[in-house]
Amino acid sequence: MSDKTLSRRDALKVAGTAAATVIALQMVKKANASEAVVGERQWAMVIDQNKCTGCGYCVMACRAHNDVAPDITWNPVLEAGVAGDNQVYLPRPCMHCAKAPCVEVCPVKASYYRPDGIVMMDYDRCIGCRYCEVACPYQARSFNWDAFKGANPAVPEWGEPEVERRPRGVPEKCSFCYQRIDRGLSLGLEPGVDPDATPACVVVCPTGARLFGDLNDPESNVSKALKENPTYRLREDLGTGPRVYYIPAVAEKMEA
Amino acid sequence: MFKNLREKLVITPWLIWLAVMGIILLAGAVAGILVFWKGLVITNLTDLVPWGLWIAIDLSSIALGAGAFSLCAGVYLFGLKRYQPIARTATFVGLIGYTMATLALILDIGKPERFWHSMVYWNTHSLLWEVTMCVILYLTVLLLETMPIIANLEWLRKRFPKIASLMSGVHHYAPILAIIGLGLSSLHQSSLGAMYGVIKARPFWFKPEMSVLFMFSAIVGGISITLFASMVSARLTNKAKVNDALIERVAQFVGYLLIGYFYFRAWDALATTYTYDPGRSEGLHVMTKGPLAFNFWIGEMLLGMIIPMILLLYKQTRMNPFWRMLALFLVAAGVVAFRWDTNIAGLMVVMPFVPGQAITYANYVPSLIEILAGSAIIAYGLTAFSLGVKYLRVVDHSRVEAEHERGKVETTETVTA
Repeated sequence: MSDKTLSRRDALKVAGTAAATVIALQMVKKANASEAVVGERQWAMVIDQNKCTGCGYCVMACRAHNDVAPDITWNPVLEAGVAGDNQVYLPRPCMHCAKAPCVEVCPVKASYYRPDGIVMMDYDRCIGCRYCEVACPYQARSFNWDAFKGANPAVPEWGEPEVERRPRGVPEKCSFCYQRIDRGLSLGLEPGVDPDATPACVVVCPTGARLFGDLNDPESNVSKALKENPTYRLREDLGTGPRVYYIPAVAEKMEA
Repeated sequence: MFKNLREKLVITPWLIWLAVMGIILLAGAVAGILVFWKGLVITNLTDLVPWGLWIAIDLSSIALGAGAFSLCAGVYLFGLKRYQPIARTATFVGLIGYTMATLALILDIGKPERFWHSMVYWNTHSLLWEVTMCVILYLTVLLLETMPIIANLEWLRKRFPKIASLMSGVHHYAPILAIIGLGLSSLHQSSLGAMYGVIKARPFWFKPEMSVLFMFSAIVGGISITLFASMVSARLTNKAKVNDALIERVAQFVGYLLIGYFYFRAWDALATTYTYDPGRSEGLHVMTKGPLAFNFWIGEMLLGMIIPMILLLYKQTRMNPFWRMLALFLVAAGVVAFRWDTNIAGLMVVMPFVPGQAITYANYVPSLIEILAGSAIIAYGLTAFSLGVKYLRVVDHSRVEAEHERGKVETTETVTA
């Protein structure tokens, strides 16, 4: 058998295998499609910029309840211009995008969608490549360049840690305090209504600038707030579909 | 006895070369251990610029390893059999390039002990997953392709002639391996660009041309570094023998490819502003007028494309080994500059997400640890190639050509002889 016939026949074999692989990959893709199951509850947050005074309580409560290192902020409160004579603030948790770039790019599915819309991180699976960090338009992710050792200065003044500390070498981000939601639901509490089932930043806010609740429930406070107020989302142009809505600051409202 | 050894030890240029490489490797090993021990906190990477020098080395060594698939495809699929000896060198260069990339990645990821997760937990949406899988599979193909080269090891042939002949026999499957290699390489070389191209949050990267540019630059750079390495080896040692006419022909081909690469890169870069997308023009500004301007205009455009294009297409300079070598080196260096500029320019432009805020700029200069570990990765590549030239005869245009013509049975005979 000459080299040539061998290579030609095998080329066909390879082509066949390649076709089979493509079909198999399509099947995997279909199986993947089911991963983004949409559950009954769809959590969302509404932040009223008219009420936010930039006190930073939410930053501290978040650090304590999620045991976040002092040099990392899941939920910074940023300055966002002025309305009349008042400074306007913009707290920025994770947007929990419906089409999250971080979930799409993660090579190992360490970032994933929960049926309730929360974008979760599996810190035990993450390899620390930081592609998610590069892909996130909101800078919502912080990498653990070093291990967080020692006492958390926000504890116990601002609360007690409810989740495990993340190891060195993985990025971390806001999780909408999924641990409080899950525990609360199992106790029959309603997230967004009962403080024990609501994200720590929402509970601690002294001016009630943050609302949390179920978008699928027309009676929830977020659904009502969205119906009664003009709202916007960050970088809506990107099509990421954030689950954090902002009620823009208006000078007259802020004076009041 | 010690005295005896000292008398025997003659300081040759080869030993000096190995010693220098050894020192760099040792320093890099210390840096690498420090990284694993202390973590990435000892690098200058930040949350705004999380990919730096090591990623640039990773991207560059994959690009410069692309000579393997380009030349193997030419030889085994397009029937340009007389270039087989160059393809043989390219395969070895490819193996080195891909292992260098793997080393850089292991250093760079935060959880190196979990590197195998990408093989077990598939996210088929992720281009990085696809690149990782392709690189792993292609590394396997390259290992198989280099089997006949490793079989040349004197010690192996004497000690285990059967294993050596079995390894030489893999040569018989070269056409099939070339097809698989071509498929895997086309996938991941372009996906490496697409990895950047799909990031909507970074407008400077977000374009479909990224994958084509990465593919094109990899073919140009990969062939160039292979030719350059062959020519340098032939000048430095008699263990390497090149057929200058062959190299000259391929070098001319690189010259023509450069026209295409230059046209595409220049057109793509300078047309960046057409969309007026926020962030995109800023990226171009960083690259053409900002901190990367020297890299772009001098490193990529002038030295990386225009000068070598002239040197390789003008017959007088192409026929002169010195100018040809210089041109080929410049092309490879230009591709490295392209990878560096692309990665850094996209990260330096920080897009605001708060309404009404302006674009800001991040900065990054690699730390000493990053430079030491990065240099060691390059030193590993150089050492591996020089050892290959000396002991595996990876650059030997006279001998291998004959071996290929003779086929399987006679190869076994030459082994036992």
